[in-house]
Amino acid sequence: MKILIADDDAVSRRLLEKTLQREGYEVIAVDNGLLALQQLSLPDGPRLALLDWMMPGLAGPGVCSAARELRGRPYVHIILVTSRNAKQDIVAGLESGADDYLTKPWNTAELLARLRVGQRILHLEDRLVEAGETLLFKATHDSLTSLLNRGAILDLLARELARTRREKGCTVMMLCDLDHFKNVNDTYGHVVGDEVLQEVARRLLFSVRSYDFVGRYGGEEFLIVLNNCDSSQAVLRAEEVRNGIANHPVQTSRGPLPITMSLGILASRDWDFHLAEEILGEADAALYRAKADGRNCVRLAEPKASSDPHSQLVK
Amino acid sequence: MTQQRDTSAQPSVNLPELLVRVDNDRDLLRELIEIFQEDFPRRLQQLQTYVGQRDMNSVETASHGLKGMLSSLSAMRAAAAAARLEQMGREGKMAGLPEALAQFEQEVEGLLPELDGYMMEAKQ
Repeated sequence: MKILIADDDAVSRRLLEKTLQREGYEVIAVDNGLLALQQLSLPDGPRLALLDWMMPGLAGPGVCSAARELRGRPYVHIILVTSRNAKQDIVAGLESGADDYLTKPWNTAELLARLRVGQRILHLEDRLVEAGETLLFKATHDSLTSLLNRGAILDLLARELARTRREKGCTVMMLCDLDHFKNVNDTYGHVVGDEVLQEVARRLLFSVRSYDFVGRYGGEEFLIVLNNCDSSQAVLRAEEVRNGIANHPVQTSRGPLPITMSLGILASRDWDFHLAEEILGEADAALYRAKADGRNCVRLAEPKASSDPHSQLVK
Repeated sequence: MTQQRDTSAQPSVNLPELLVRVDNDRDLLRELIEIFQEDFPRRLQQLQTYVGQRDMNSVETASHGLKGMLSSLSAMRAAAAAARLEQMGREGKMAGLPEALAQFEQEVEGLLPELDGYMMEAKQ
């Protein structure tokens, strides 16, 4: 494990370095506080640090408080090493963000024991972060398809629409619904229905760019949000998505099944709406028209003021 | 004010403690002594300058650094003398400062030759 030691006294620094290397630590040794902070700021910087209290440039407590301000770095367990053992100094050190302190000259057994405590805390911290990430994933993703769930894709849509309006750009959304999916469930059972949904999800993800979003909107409904895309490209992109599903049957445990999808799509710049719900209402209407026009097709929602009062026929 | 006492008879370094600290690694002991011998004269000179200038903040920092080095080498009497200087620096207490420096110098006087002796032993 990487460990940072910062001490301007070369004797103590070398002694500490050697002691820790013997214990299998990968030691990074620096002689001032600014270099210590630089090391702690690195993306894969050390997670354990032994900082001398008094150093030129930036003292130990200063390094602590600055390190705690760093964002996007995993937690670092910081031990201040000090020969100032007055209670108010210890309190000030801990208040600055240090996790522990050691007094100089340190006892090697105590030093190593305290580092093991630090490692235990870091391990707990890692497990906590991991559990948080798992929970966040579960709260925002659909358990069957691992796509974003309804809540998460709607949040993203609202955020994208706000950003797009601010930047005077355009976001395209595609409301996609599998055709006659109830028949799949009724004929082959829900297990096969789930297999179809999983494969469709995989193909949808494959057919968009890495910075677009795909969510499961409802049972067999999916919502795709495309950034920086307008109505001139939207239909072409939607056709790619539709073909991605229709062109190859889905392989299931009950054999290959032909599956198709209808899409109602909308480009935000064409509409003066502010709420995601209003926009989704129009995309839903376009999807309804796609269904009414025979399914396995794409319909673009266009404002009533356009030449075509309904929607543009694209297939 | 100065605590004149004959310390020449007692070693400055608590060698058994130092050997435990370096885990009986004679090479490391030699290396630490070399680092000290190289670094110490410069640091002592700085301290003497700061004391002469009555630059109390720098007296505090310089003595703190010396205290750290000396305590790492288990030279506890010299470390204690440095600690006194450090405290005077922190408190801005100028009275008795030259005497405290003289006492520190006296504590470290025998240290370098003593360390030389350990170097020779370590090489054997």
